[in-house]
Amino acid sequence: MTTVAQNLSAQNKRSNTQREGALPSIEYDLIRAHVFASLVTLVISVLFGILVATKFTFPEFVGGHGWLTWGRLRYNHTQGIFFGWLGNAFLAFFYYVVPRLASRPVLSRRLGWLLFVIWNFAVVLPGWVLVAAGFSQPLEWAEFPLVVDAFVVVAFILMVFEFVLPFLKARLSDLYVSGWYIIGGIIFTMLAYPVGNLVPELVPGARGAAFSGLWIHDAVGLFVTPFAAAIAYYVIPATTRRPIFSHFLSMVGFWLLFFTYPLNGTHHYVYSAIPMAAQKGAIVASAYLGMAVILVVTNWLLSLRGSSGTVSKDVPLRFVWFGVISYLLVSLQGSVQALMPVNRFIHFTDWVIGHSHLAMIGFASFIALGGIAHLWQRIPGTRYNERLMNWSFWLLAAGLTLMVADLTIAGLVEAQVWQSSAPWIDSVRAVGSYWLVRTLSGLPILAGFVLFWTSLVTGPRLSEAIASGTSREASENVVAFENVSPVSDKLNSTGWLSYAHVVAFGAGVGFFALSFLVLAILPGRELEDEIKQVAPVTMPTLTASEQRGRVIYGREGCAYCHTQQIRSLAADVRRFGAPTEPWETKYDYPQLWGTRRIGPDLSREFNLRPRDWQFTHLYNPRLVVRDSVMPPYPWLFDGSPNQPTQEGLDVLAYIQSLGRARELSGFDRQTLASTVRSDTSEMAMTSEPSARATPPAIPIAMMGGYSLSAPVLHPASDPDDLEEEVSRGGLLFAGNCASCHGPAGRGDGKASASLLPRPANLAAARFSDERLSSVLWNGVAGSAMPPWRQLPTEDLRALVAYVDSLHLPVAAPSTQDSTNLNVGKFLFAANCASCHGDAGEGNGPAAGALAPSPTNFHLKKPTQERAWDVLENGVPGTAMPPWRSQLTADERRALVEFVRSLYGPSQENSGQ
Amino acid sequence: MINLIVIAISAIMFAVLLVWWRWPAFRVWIEAPKYSMLRQERRFDDQQTGSSS
Repeated sequence: MTTVAQNLSAQNKRSNTQREGALPSIEYDLIRAHVFASLVTLVISVLFGILVATKFTFPEFVGGHGWLTWGRLRYNHTQGIFFGWLGNAFLAFFYYVVPRLASRPVLSRRLGWLLFVIWNFAVVLPGWVLVAAGFSQPLEWAEFPLVVDAFVVVAFILMVFEFVLPFLKARLSDLYVSGWYIIGGIIFTMLAYPVGNLVPELVPGARGAAFSGLWIHDAVGLFVTPFAAAIAYYVIPATTRRPIFSHFLSMVGFWLLFFTYPLNGTHHYVYSAIPMAAQKGAIVASAYLGMAVILVVTNWLLSLRGSSGTVSKDVPLRFVWFGVISYLLVSLQGSVQALMPVNRFIHFTDWVIGHSHLAMIGFASFIALGGIAHLWQRIPGTRYNERLMNWSFWLLAAGLTLMVADLTIAGLVEAQVWQSSAPWIDSVRAVGSYWLVRTLSGLPILAGFVLFWTSLVTGPRLSEAIASGTSREASENVVAFENVSPVSDKLNSTGWLSYAHVVAFGAGVGFFALSFLVLAILPGRELEDEIKQVAPVTMPTLTASEQRGRVIYGREGCAYCHTQQIRSLAADVRRFGAPTEPWETKYDYPQLWGTRRIGPDLSREFNLRPRDWQFTHLYNPRLVVRDSVMPPYPWLFDGSPNQPTQEGLDVLAYIQSLGRARELSGFDRQTLASTVRSDTSEMAMTSEPSARATPPAIPIAMMGGYSLSAPVLHPASDPDDLEEEVSRGGLLFAGNCASCHGPAGRGDGKASASLLPRPANLAAARFSDERLSSVLWNGVAGSAMPPWRQLPTEDLRALVAYVDSLHLPVAAPSTQDSTNLNVGKFLFAANCASCHGDAGEGNGPAAGALAPSPTNFHLKKPTQERAWDVLENGVPGTAMPPWRSQLTADERRALVEFVRSLYGPSQENSGQ
Repeated sequence: MINLIVIAISAIMFAVLLVWWRWPAFRVWIEAPKYSMLRQERRFDDQQTGSSS
């Protein structure tokens, strides 16, 4: 390269002199304004993030108001980082570097201030306020509402005028690679942003998800990456004072990135209902992207060869170096996790959140910080504190490393639990400590950012710094670049080379269009055809209430913890039911598939849980699920779970509609393999033999459907073993049952007040092992009692032993006499047998229509007090009425004696 | 889909590498901006420190 430089220098000296006129002015005020805006929004966004992380450990933490609920904070965290922090940081860098690279000032100072105002006061600030107030868009990286999106597009159009026009006025053949990244990033983001934000509102479900996937990746690939790359390509040679290793490789990398990034989008929906050809195309593009990044990073690292001393001493350059290493790691990680064998395991877990933080902090933020610190030292009159900057670097590096390692391991733990048949809540419990560490790791990151800010307002002023030579030491290895000029006019006028960039730009636009064609438009048409063929003609649409509930579901960020896509994977199907079909989503404007699971998938909530359980859960999830980390939503109620507001009613109506179309259509009763199609199912069958081949008869998450195969679990007969079982059962009961049944099993748990029928008082009756086993296995239809069959058998047996132990010691022998029993039997036959059956087995003629089923007194023996209370007051929430007005006290007493006498095998009692 | 992506990217890469390998003038032309960038950077630095280039 040096030889090339020397050859060029001789022939171009004269033309250089001609070109070197007065230097263009640089808008330092705008740089300062954007730098401070970036740091203010950065700190606020990180505080949002820390609040979000804290709520995983303390879900009630500042959770009483909608403005501070998890979902809305989560939206504002990512959008704040994207627009507030990175957007402002990049803009500050543009004002610094565009005049240097284009040899022309930016178009207009006034335009610059207009852009500043729009970006911060029409995008970031109102975006945050609107999201916090409940006006948002439940789409990843597109959470600000459409009205804000309009200003984003306007801002990008202004950026074209402000930053791209100066480049176009200059000769593109002389343009350094950073300029190319700035031009490409602005233009392609301007084109991709409206598509990613608007189209999913117009194109529903699976088809819309294809567009969403594109934007999710374009946000990183066309906005974050190009501008961060522009900074890295600038700061490295400007600091080392040596040219980059190869401008040719940098341009190859530039076009490869722009070719392959947009093609990656669908790798966010692997194993989904999107046609497999699109999924595989995205996976292949992801592999290509990994190779492109290796090339880009290799070029950066070769540019830094021999400069380890400079990297060590110059903190801004060290920031950039860290970002370069992170970019390599996160890109290779991204390529690998797009591969099906990896994706099936780690997708939806915290692994992906670790990946995102490595990308947005480790790569983009470190490089942006390096860029800001680099330019800040070159702005007249500014201060710069190198010591604090150094501390900032190490705090950030330590915090990020801890966070990414922690989230990566947490993701593996979650994935492991999800592959098993353990209850969903076990995955939440398993990573609780990891979430705490993640929150703590955010503190050094926040401190690092604050120190970074402080380092820009303390320390010596620029003029002093330059004079003392503390901040900009020239490398001893400086290449004599002053002797190297732009390429000769002869080369520039050789003809086709002048058009090379035009051709390349055309190719870039072509690939951009190709990404939409192959990943969104063509798969969309395929999906449309399939939906026409397969969708039931009577598929119901959402009611007005359900529609309103859907909006609330979106605004609260429910889709960021609960997916609505069951993938064609055995683990998904086993847990949630049949894979999501495209037709199920044909009315979803916009799609709510989600890209993360903290709670379970909700695609099949129809008929899954009773309303009282759902309301109690929405009001405060920990009333019914002790270890849940879901946020409470008290603003959807008037003070108690029994008093939902219209919004509460709406959101529950929507949740309970999920999966209704599928259930009512009888789709799963038809032959699945015959008409369902498609490449997705073929793929699933190939790699997941048990996914579709195994009918989702009773997924883990579903209740209902009495299973005759319920095992009868008998506690241990050995006293020592029994004691151990009871002890273990007590722990299990406390973790899984006490929130409803109360700590002593008396049916007085926190949730009991809002559940109807109330949870059983387990101390007020004796239950047979058969009855307890059946309830644990199948749940109790018509009540909030879910099935617990996903627990290991030994756990279920321990629960049976524990519940057995709750029953008070056997009372003194009954004083019942045969006359009383006969009266009771007569009264029972006259008044109770239609529901409870002639023999009291809970199988009377009316029983089939009742839920919960009438009590089988051969399997449950209530205490005298409980039986008396039931006859006096009935059982609210069931078909059992009070009998106080119909029967005398003596008659009721006789009935109590009779039903208590039935307990035990029915043959022995049938004659009584 | 996969074939399209693989063929398109491979063809472009092959063409670019071929040009780079067969035509030295292209190498000179494509590498020039990395020097002009540094020269420009030096001019701004010199202006800021008050010296002349």
